[in-house]
Amino acid sequence: MISGFETALGEITLVLFTTLAPTGALAVLCMGLPLIFGSATDRDIARLNKYLCIPLVVSMVGLIASATHLGNPANALYVFASIGTSPLSNEVFAAVLFLASTGLYWLYSFSEKAHRTLLRIWFIVISFTAIAFVVSVGFAYSSRTIISWHMWQAPVAVMCNALVGGPLLTLMSYACAGCQLLNKRKGVQLLVVSVGAFLVNAIVYVLQIRDVFELSNSMASVSELVPLYWWALFAFVVLVGAALVLAWNMIKRLPADPHEEAIVVASRSNMTLIVGLCVATILCLAGIFIMRFCFYMSHITVGLGV
Amino acid sequence: MSQYAFYLDMSRCTGCKTCVVACKDAYGLDVGVAFRRVYEVVGGSTTKDEAGCISSDCIVYYMSLSCNHCAKPVCVEVCPTRAMHKDPDTGFVSVDTEKCIGCGYCHLSCPYSAPQVDPRKGHSVKCHGCAESVLAGDSPVCVLSCPARALQFGPLEQMREKGVVAEVAPLPPASHTLPHLFVTPCRDAQPSESDQVVVGNSAEVQ
Repeated sequence: MISGFETALGEITLVLFTTLAPTGALAVLCMGLPLIFGSATDRDIARLNKYLCIPLVVSMVGLIASATHLGNPANALYVFASIGTSPLSNEVFAAVLFLASTGLYWLYSFSEKAHRTLLRIWFIVISFTAIAFVVSVGFAYSSRTIISWHMWQAPVAVMCNALVGGPLLTLMSYACAGCQLLNKRKGVQLLVVSVGAFLVNAIVYVLQIRDVFELSNSMASVSELVPLYWWALFAFVVLVGAALVLAWNMIKRLPADPHEEAIVVASRSNMTLIVGLCVATILCLAGIFIMRFCFYMSHITVGLGV
Repeated sequence: MSQYAFYLDMSRCTGCKTCVVACKDAYGLDVGVAFRRVYEVVGGSTTKDEAGCISSDCIVYYMSLSCNHCAKPVCVEVCPTRAMHKDPDTGFVSVDTEKCIGCGYCHLSCPYSAPQVDPRKGHSVKCHGCAESVLAGDSPVCVLSCPARALQFGPLEQMREKGVVAEVAPLPPASHTLPHLFVTPCRDAQPSESDQVVVGNSAEVQ
C-alpha cells in the first residue's frame, strides 16, 4: 500500500519551514505593536528591538531549512522571474522582503541615533511584509491540479498556525527581554489571540480532514496516505492545549501593574517564566509540526500524482 | 507554432515495457528515474458461486505514458524560475537546467507524474520528446522500440486523426492540462476517474 510518509519525509525541510517561519513572522509583528501604537517607553523599545532577534532567528531557521530541499540553490535568483505567476516565487519574494526589512531594522535599531519615528514607520512596513509572507506561505502550494492542497482550508490553517504560535513566541521574547510591557494584561491579550486562533484552527483542521478523506486518484486515496490524520489532530489539540495552559500558568503570576516590572526582571521567577514560556512555545510548534507533516503526506493530484 | 503529439493504440499495447527500457537505455537514466512508465490498470473480481462454479470479470490493460507536452502545462505554470518552459516553435515542454533549482514543484503538480527531480543531477528531468531526433525527421526512442507498433509520435493533426483525446483511466480528464496524447481505447478501457479499475503496479511506477 502506498504511504504518504515518504513524500512528507522527502519534504521534511518544508514541514519545518512552514512550522517555524509563519510563527516567527507573526511574533515579529506582535513585538512591534507597542512601538507602532506608541505604548512603550524608549527603554522598552530598546529591549524589544534587541530581543527581536528571537522571532527573527526562528523565521530564518525555517527559511534556511527550506533552501536545503532545493536540488540546485545556485540558480535561486531565477525565482524572481515568476513573481506574480508562480505561488512559490511569490512566497520567496515575500520571504526576502520580510527578512531583509526585519534584519536591517534590527541592525539599525542598535544605532545610538536611531530615530523613533523612523523605527515606527519601518515597523509598519515590516508588519505588512510579515502578513504578506504568512499569506504567501499559505498559498505557496495551491496548484489547481493538487486536489488535496488546493482547498480553502490549507492557507487558512497556515494563517491560524501563525496566530496560535506567534503570540506564544512573542510572550517568550518579552520574557527574555524582561521589559515593562510584560504584565498580566498584555499577557492575557496575547494569550486570548492564541486561544481564539487555536479554536478556529482546530475547526479548520476538522473540516480539512473531512474533505480530504473523500479525495482519491488512480494511485491512492488520502485516507490511505494519511491513515492517522485524526490521531494527528488529536495530538495537535493535546500539545497546543498543554502549551496554552502552561502559558496561562506563567502569565497569571505576572504583576497587573506594569510599573512592577523591576520585580519581575530582578527576581528568579523571571527565569521560571522564560523556561515555562519556552516550553509552551516548543509544545505549540510540535503540534503544528505534526499537522504540517500530515499536510505533506496528503499530497495527491488529479490523475496519477502522489 | 507546430505541435507534436503521442498516439497509443491501447488495443495493441501488451505492456511489455520495451519503451520504458529503451528510453532509460538511450538516456542513461538511473534507477528511480524514468521518462516513460507503463501503468498496469486492473479491475473486476473472481467469484465462486454455491454450485462451485468460478466466474471472473477481471480486466487488465496498459497505459504507456510519458510527458504529454500539454497545451496547458501546469508544470510550466507553477515553475518559479521559468526553467520549465514550452518551446514556442515545437511545443515541446522541457527543462532549462541552467535555471532549474530542483524545488520539485513541477513533479508535485503534474497529474501525469512526468517531471521528477533527479537527486544526482539536482534538477528536474523529464521526457523531452527526443526533440533532436524528431526535428531531424526521426521518431522518439520509445516509438522506434515498440515491438507492437502501438506507440506513435508526430504532428498534432496527424495523431488526432488516429484516435481520441486520452481520457481513459488511470488518466485524469484532459481538461486539466489539455494533453497531446491520443489513444485508440482497448475493449476494456474505462473512462477517466472510473472507480472500477486501479493501478496494479503502483509500487513500480510511483
